[in-house]
Amino acid sequence: MSRTLLWAMFAILPALAQDTRDPRQIILEVQKRQHADSQRYEGTLEVTSQGNQVATKRWIYQRIGSFGNSKAILRFTAPAEVKGVGLLIVNHPDRASDQWMWRPAIGRDQRIALQDRSTRFFGTDFSFEDLEERDVDQYNYKLLADEGGLWKLESRPRKSSQYEYSYFWIKKDNYTFVKIEAYNKKGLVRTIDYKNYEQIKGIWTARLTEVYDVTRKSRTVLKYEKLEYNLPMKDDDFTLQALRRDL
Amino acid sequence: MIAAGLMIVALFAQQFEQRGFIENSTAVYPQTAANDSGRVVDELLFREEASYKFAPWLTVNGSFDARTDSHRQTARDWAVDADDRSIQRPAFSVRRLSARIHRGKMTAEVGRQLIRWGKTDILNPTDRFAPRDYLSSVVDTDFLGVSAARVTYESGGDTVDLLWQPWFTPSRTPLLNQRWTALPPEAAGVSIVDGGARYPGGSQYGARWNHIGSGYEYSLCFFDGFQNLPSFDAAFTPVTASVALTRTYPDLRLYGGDAAIPLAWLTIKGEAAYFTSSTPGAEEYALYVIQLERQVKEWSFVGGYAGSVVTREAASPLQFAPDRGFAKSFVGRAGLTIDANRSLAIETAVRAGGSFMRFEYSQLFGQHWRATGGIAWIRGDMTDFLGQYSRNSYGSLAIRYSF
Repeated sequence: MSRTLLWAMFAILPALAQDTRDPRQIILEVQKRQHADSQRYEGTLEVTSQGNQVATKRWIYQRIGSFGNSKAILRFTAPAEVKGVGLLIVNHPDRASDQWMWRPAIGRDQRIALQDRSTRFFGTDFSFEDLEERDVDQYNYKLLADEGGLWKLESRPRKSSQYEYSYFWIKKDNYTFVKIEAYNKKGLVRTIDYKNYEQIKGIWTARLTEVYDVTRKSRTVLKYEKLEYNLPMKDDDFTLQALRRDL
Repeated sequence: MIAAGLMIVALFAQQFEQRGFIENSTAVYPQTAANDSGRVVDELLFREEASYKFAPWLTVNGSFDARTDSHRQTARDWAVDADDRSIQRPAFSVRRLSARIHRGKMTAEVGRQLIRWGKTDILNPTDRFAPRDYLSSVVDTDFLGVSAARVTYESGGDTVDLLWQPWFTPSRTPLLNQRWTALPPEAAGVSIVDGGARYPGGSQYGARWNHIGSGYEYSLCFFDGFQNLPSFDAAFTPVTASVALTRTYPDLRLYGGDAAIPLAWLTIKGEAAYFTSSTPGAEEYALYVIQLERQVKEWSFVGGYAGSVVTREAASPLQFAPDRGFAKSFVGRAGLTIDANRSLAIETAVRAGGSFMRFEYSQLFGQHWRATGGIAWIRGDMTDFLGQYSRNSYGSLAIRYSF
């Protein structure tokens, strides 16, 4: 082994080790590893209310771009009465996303007022804020603990948020989220568990997300089916015209 | 061979989409009206919508309605209607049948289709290619399709919409012998009959430019065509002591625009249009709406004011004008999503001489069934557009099976 290589090893290894202890770098690495230019999946969502009543919704989700600079269209396929209802989300790095909803029954798109991001998404336990892509710079991070194979991080929003702070658990070996606990001033509000990870096109991907609303005692499970990354997609398919191009 | 057959079926299924519903709705009126002693109206509607993608750039869309009712608002014949010009609703009608071509930034649609303009939610002054069906109620209406060619070009945040409607479709007005035609007390004892319609023969044109900017959105539009709400020519026949009302549709030209500005605490939406007419005696006026929207948790609130300014009075007061009837009023809507299956809504319009309020509760059962119950309360003077329907407060129940 040459002296240069030895020097490089000694110089770089501590830097890498330090890198992984910087919580911001951990989140950046998570985002880097999950980066895809496009994504498509068919989602099945089951909401189980406190009284054990179950509501099921299905949709097709397509996204172009990534983290803070992306566009997505979500189109409901079930239940039958909402078939064709679509949602266009245009994410911006510096401000809240713009959203339009297309309702075939009235033949018109409507801009959605989203001043309150704690609003639940179509009656599920996800809030609109939970579904937003997290820009690293909008949060302050603190590494709280090294729990064996997991890092426990604290995240505090710099801008207004329904949450005071959240705890993240991230796997060290593949930089994937395992769990999020979100708190407001009164205490724990929501838990989000990421399960059934699989590698798809080199990206570790949770095939199931489970949200539990502590206050309402209601649970939502989102299953991702036919999930694909980096499909060829066009910007023209993520516009208001595209949203209207339904049956 | 079976495998090949299954493959063809699978391929067809990938290109074919459909949805539809069958709905029974019942309205119960506690009071009778001067021209209508009926208290219960039941309607049954079957609607099927389908599309087939022949190629990635070519889709054919269709929508078909079959209906009947207890109150003779729906015709009782087997003919399939495709122009929505009859005074009764057709039992069978083609709501939509169009071909859509999509290439790059351009989308063209030709045939019978639904076209909506505007951004506000309670009243849309610029929504000129969307005639309505007022037969069952003037406060809760459905839209009609129009036969038109539409070309839309979208680039970045700009969209240009060009429209040509060669065949006029009027709004469907309430039947003269039913409660949503409110006759003045002076008309008591006079037989009022439908004298048919004189439909305009020319084409209608429209253009709209919409721009989405950083934190705002607006559009400008122009329409040249005809009023889809009728004025009436009255002809008195002394022998039979009857008055025949003939529906006419004045020329109409519209200059309008709308805007939406989402702010940190609320979203402001506005829409305005100025209407001129070359038809002698036709009214010229402006309509505008300004509304504020705010979402708080599972509640959504919309409140605003709809106003009008008349610049030339109509020569005859015999008009059916619900768009102006809802003007000069404070309008509001509140909606609550209780959970994934249940919702509540309250809607109101308050004018100086009349008011309207509707309360609605809706619940989904399983994957297919939905029940919606409501109460509509109308109050006011006979001289007011809303007030004249003060005997038409009603309770309603709709059961829908979607597939």
